[in-house]
Amino acid sequence: MNPAIVTTLKASAYIGLTLLASPLLEGVIRKIKAFIQSRKGPPVSQPYLDLAKLLVKEDLSSTPSLVARLAPPAAFASVLAASLFVPYGVAAPAARAGDLFLFIYLITFSSTCVMAGGLSHSSPFSHIGSSREMMMLITIEAVILISLLIVGVSGHTALLSSLVGTSFRFSFVLGLICYLFAMQAMLGKLPFDIPEAEQEIMGGPFVEYSGPSLALFKWTFYMKQLFFGSLFFNLFVGWPHFAGWGWIGSVVSFAINFLAVLILGLFVVLIDATNPRLRIDQSLRFFAGLIGVALLGMGLAAFGL
Amino acid sequence: MFGLKLLRGKFKEAAICLSAGRVTLPYPHSPVEAPSAFRGLPQVDARRCIGCGGCVSVCTSNLISVVDEGPLARFAWDLAKCTYCGRCAEACPEDAVTMARLFETATDDIFDLTMTVEVFMASCSRCGRCYRTQTPLDPPAPRAYHERRVQALCDKWKDKPVEPESEASL
Amino acid sequence: MTESSRILQDIRSHLGDSALECSELHASAVMVTVAPGDLPDASAFLDKTLDARFVISAGTDFRRAGKGFRVDHFFSQDRCKTWVVLRAYTSAEDPKVGSITPRVPAAGWAEREFQDLLGIKAEGHPDPRRLVLADDWPEGIHPLRRDVPYNIRPEPANNVAQPMAVPKGNVVVVPIGPFFPVLEEPAFLKVFVEGEEVVGLDYRGFFNHRGIEKLGDSKLTYNEIPFLAERICGICGFVHSTSYVQAVENAAGTDVPLRAKYIRSIVLELERIHSHLLWLGIAGHILGFDTVLMQTWRMREPLMWLMEKITGNRKTYGMNVVGGVRRDIPKESHSEILETVGKIEREWLKVISAVIDDTPLLMRLSKVGVFTPQDARDLGSVGPTARGSRQPIDTRIDHPYAAYDRIEVRGIWKDSCDVAARTLVRLEETLESIREVKQLLAEMPERPIHVEFTEAIPPGLEGISAVEAPRGEVIHYVLTGEDARPYRWRVRAPTYANLQALGVSLKGMSIADLPITLGSMDPCFSCTERVQVVDVRSRSVRIITGRELSDMARRRWDRAGRSRR
Repeated sequence: MNPAIVTTLKASAYIGLTLLASPLLEGVIRKIKAFIQSRKGPPVSQPYLDLAKLLVKEDLSSTPSLVARLAPPAAFASVLAASLFVPYGVAAPAARAGDLFLFIYLITFSSTCVMAGGLSHSSPFSHIGSSREMMMLITIEAVILISLLIVGVSGHTALLSSLVGTSFRFSFVLGLICYLFAMQAMLGKLPFDIPEAEQEIMGGPFVEYSGPSLALFKWTFYMKQLFFGSLFFNLFVGWPHFAGWGWIGSVVSFAINFLAVLILGLFVVLIDATNPRLRIDQSLRFFAGLIGVALLGMGLAAFGL
Repeated sequence: MFGLKLLRGKFKEAAICLSAGRVTLPYPHSPVEAPSAFRGLPQVDARRCIGCGGCVSVCTSNLISVVDEGPLARFAWDLAKCTYCGRCAEACPEDAVTMARLFETATDDIFDLTMTVEVFMASCSRCGRCYRTQTPLDPPAPRAYHERRVQALCDKWKDKPVEPESEASL
Repeated sequence: MTESSRILQDIRSHLGDSALECSELHASAVMVTVAPGDLPDASAFLDKTLDARFVISAGTDFRRAGKGFRVDHFFSQDRCKTWVVLRAYTSAEDPKVGSITPRVPAAGWAEREFQDLLGIKAEGHPDPRRLVLADDWPEGIHPLRRDVPYNIRPEPANNVAQPMAVPKGNVVVVPIGPFFPVLEEPAFLKVFVEGEEVVGLDYRGFFNHRGIEKLGDSKLTYNEIPFLAERICGICGFVHSTSYVQAVENAAGTDVPLRAKYIRSIVLELERIHSHLLWLGIAGHILGFDTVLMQTWRMREPLMWLMEKITGNRKTYGMNVVGGVRRDIPKESHSEILETVGKIEREWLKVISAVIDDTPLLMRLSKVGVFTPQDARDLGSVGPTARGSRQPIDTRIDHPYAAYDRIEVRGIWKDSCDVAARTLVRLEETLESIREVKQLLAEMPERPIHVEFTEAIPPGLEGISAVEAPRGEVIHYVLTGEDARPYRWRVRAPTYANLQALGVSLKGMSIADLPITLGSMDPCFSCTERVQVVDVRSRSVRIITGRELSDMARRRWDRAGRSRR
């Protein structure tokens, strides 16, 4: 068969998988949170229902701005594109098309879309939210980039898929810690959900969004949960691939990967459920410190530790 | 030190959370019984009612209206206004009013919350008004049953204040 | 010589000829009448020299008796456990009094309120804008005047707005309310923000005035009001009904049986426990820490079930009538109460130790919403808000009521003046309340629980009563009248006092700290806004007026009626 067609099919399957599996992850995460809070919690299928409901609702808009219209699909598309570079236990379809810098750019682009969408409305809440998002992004992005580079330096490449299975070194411990905290912030979980901060600024940049636009933003967040988790396991914890087993191997790898992400989700939720939201200045100070730790790790990695 | 304290705090919180277990009740899929002392929707046993009107004069939200129609005294309860204070049940000398344990009173038809009790009473041969028997509640407070009943009466009586002697002549 | 007669002598010797009349209203309440122009000087004397804390003002319409209007300023001398009422009569034609707000800042709202509701002008008030009446309420109708019917509904008007503060310079206006995620109450805070910093704010509230005071003195009778008073607040309702019945009992000189007093105290303390549990949950929720909300409300739920068993309802217990209480707490239920509060106590100790160790939580609470002792005193804050700022005010100690003079009450005050201090005050007060419940149950005397109260009490008697609500001091003042109902009934809820202080504690703080600072006062707007039937228009495109709404309701009723027939 034509290799182009094969790649296209693979990519479609990959995108479909990301789209379908990510709400399930969210559903499980909600269930865990409910368990911590002594509640029964909504059924695991609830995120699917939420998305379905939002997608068929009217898309109310308070501004004629084109940016406001385009921001949700753009954020959604960039995150989908980023997912093509992330190994889910199986090799990513676009593994050779771009490196971790491109991945970071795509992620940053989705956050920028959220920001631009917020700024294109006239609500003071979305403006405050967007400016918080911007401040957070500057620090988190640096932390994620440096912690990924720690692995990159050790594996002598910037291609994400080629970094899978890099043997574990001491500097990874520092990178791993930094990555976990930055991930918590990237996913909008407490104590770092400052840009959204429902109780302070009513959801920040999302306050003016409704219906399908809001659904796209939500889905973007669900997908980020999935592939940030996968990235963690595939890069920092040398992950066994069942590469030689054909398609069965791929399915098994993916399933194991999904389970691993769920376990990581448990920790994310634990932190999320037992912490109050920090103030933006407190959080910036925290991540500024974390950049220092990440740079230390990078130095160690450069010396081969 | 800082981190240790933080971890200790988080572990204590986790212990509080996890020791409780799941507390969500299956309501409304399975019913919940209110305790026996609960003050729910008032219910009237019409067979016991003697038409004394004690409930009318104590009701804090003035939801009971009474009209005499010949030999009938008609008590109309508009329970949509009820505050569930239970003063009517307390005042009833015959225990005709009870506060049922019913609390699911939401309805899309307001007439689900109205009730009319008609009590057959002896009536005055001169003007046809119902007799009023002496009850443990007599004489109730100034803004009371007599006044209320006259207000709800025919035009003949409406403008005239209730004189003690006319009360006696009934 | 009693404390109150000593205070009376002090006042008389200091005010000299300007004191027109001095007398004792009832035990531990004294009254001094001055000329309307002398109010500012006299109030400054009470506030500064006598160290009496301003509480509330009340205006009353005495035109039918030919005495014009009357203005009362209530002060509390906490050390001598005495109420001081500063009184002035003003003419019916041109009612005006000297404003005391420049001397006693805490009186700001109270004076604006009688200016709105009775049309008594407070001359020299620094901020004489409307406070209570709706924006479109016509000028010249003062609803608390006796000749205005309680059910008056003036025509609504379009595009009328009362002036609000305008920001200066390059600031963003952040509207908090009337509907806001953590401020589930109708109040509007116009907050001026530079970056993340709050540089100023203006408040417009009272969107929800329901004319409760007016109803009380024109429609209901003495023993119907407790049930309405209880509905002033959904969380501390029993506080209001207790305070009201005590005011009537003080006025009429009713001797309430001791067991009734004990039962009132027990229910009040149980109410405080559940309210503080609720508050901690809300505080957690404001910070995004929803697990605290879920867990404290889980602990609170058995208490609600307990209340349902002993009073007949989860909330709005309906226990109080003038002369006593309606339901007894029999011996058999003591063990259940002890078991429930014991369980809460055990869990609460764990919660306190966890909160003290929770560094991220303390990072959000410490040095936030700082409210100096001087501000707390000047602006008249009460309850945990004042007690977190080194103000030893606790009505249970200052003006003992119910059974609090018979048991040991330990006041809890903290020094750090911030949100953390207010939190700790509430956490420890909960334990203290549990201890008090245990003591009250152990020492409960024998029946009866109620004495007969005839509603025919002579007019012109006055009673003041304060109750320490979970949020602070609740005050009810009753002036008895004809027709078995009060001539004037005045309610002061704690949030009324605390909310005025908001502007002070928010200046210079981050917008992120605003909700928790507001929350730390445990604001209860339903308590604060009681007085007038108002129809506030929404700002949405489609406007439904009150009349349209009632027409809609009527149509619905008709349809239902037809289908029924």
